[in-house]
Amino acid sequence: MATFELYRRSTIGMCLTETLDEMVSNGTLSPELAIQVLVQFDKSMTEALESQVKSKVAIKGHLHTYRFCDNVWTFILQDAVFKYEDASETVGRVKIVACDSKLLSQ
Amino acid sequence: MATSTSGNPIPNSSLPLHDRVAIVTGASRGIGRAIALHLASLGAKLVINYTSNKVQADLVTAEINSSFLGNTPLALTVQADVSDPSQVKSLFDIAEQFFNSQPYISVNSAGVSNDKGISVADTPVEEFDRILRNIVSTVNLDCKLDLKQIALQARNAEYNPKRFAAVIMRIREPKTTALIFASGKMVCTGAKSEQQSKLAARKYARIIQKLGFPAKFKDFKIQNIVGSCDVKFPIRLEGLAYSHGAFSSYEPELFPGLIYRMKQPKIVLLIFVSGKIVITGAKVRDETYTAFENIYPVLTEFRKNQQ
Repeated sequence: MATFELYRRSTIGMCLTETLDEMVSNGTLSPELAIQVLVQFDKSMTEALESQVKSKVAIKGHLHTYRFCDNVWTFILQDAVFKYEDASETVGRVKIVACDSKLLSQ
Repeated sequence: MATSTSGNPIPNSSLPLHDRVAIVTGASRGIGRAIALHLASLGAKLVINYTSNKVQADLVTAEINSSFLGNTPLALTVQADVSDPSQVKSLFDIAEQFFNSQPYISVNSAGVSNDKGISVADTPVEEFDRILRNIVSTVNLDCKLDLKQIALQARNAEYNPKRFAAVIMRIREPKTTALIFASGKMVCTGAKSEQQSKLAARKYARIIQKLGFPAKFKDFKIQNIVGSCDVKFPIRLEGLAYSHGAFSSYEPELFPGLIYRMKQPKIVLLIFVSGKIVITGAKVRDETYTAFENIYPVLTEFRKNQQ
């Protein structure tokens, strides 16, 4: 099954990459194994988001820029309001990167 | 990417017509003048139209401009005889160009004395209802383009080669959409006037240039002008289809409108029972006007008598 490398740029992904880098550079881990771990991370993130995350957020804002290329949508929103269950938060500038999950099952 | 709306630093939300462009014909005196002054007090930008009384019209303009000095409302005096379609057209063009915005309100207060002996009901006042809706133009940028690179770098671009072999790009001012092909050919749609279409096409060409392509601006051409209007009376489409069988196709089960293919000028009209008309297929604006002038007497002939 193919995976997105999208989540490697998240905080948790960055931390994992840093740790793996450190381990590779001081010889505790082979580079091949480190890559294996990252691939597993991609898979696990996709699975976890699919099966474990139940909360829903509605985002509403002014669309400043959009792009669709290589099956990836990119949106830049201004003054976006994030609404979840009973609270909401306004963010000045938001970048949304969205991939089609159907591509994974191909 | 700030699209600046220059000249109005302080938008005033208490004025309901703030920045809206209004055209008042016959505004040099009487009712027209009163309407113009009132619209200005609500924040509108005004085109003060007159036929013959320039001094009076200028007074109205001066009154508006002086009383709202420093704030938004602005007035402009424009001479035009509203009984002449071409002058009406230029009245709207001037309004649109001067205020850089489409007219929002048109108040027809001019009294037209008709020397052609046509009754008022038969005068095509519908001139006022005709609005150019869409202009399609093409241009050749005269260089090969890497569409993927454009889609990745440019803003507001879509590129899905599996579906359509062109980049779809949009800009906000003038609000248009462009289809950009790898061959360097480009189609620009959605503009409301010929000038706007050309301006938009130039803006797209500039975007492509900025991405590092040696784009030129060759063979700009208006390909289609679509207009629509409302004659404000219902039409018997069956009767029209029957007597103009050579030009008409009316298949209500397929499409609710009557498709009228005019030979001279070569224009296609979609005519609906409601009296709404879409005029398409024109390469120059005058063809839409001619087509409308040709079809109008026919439509009055097939006017549906309401119970």
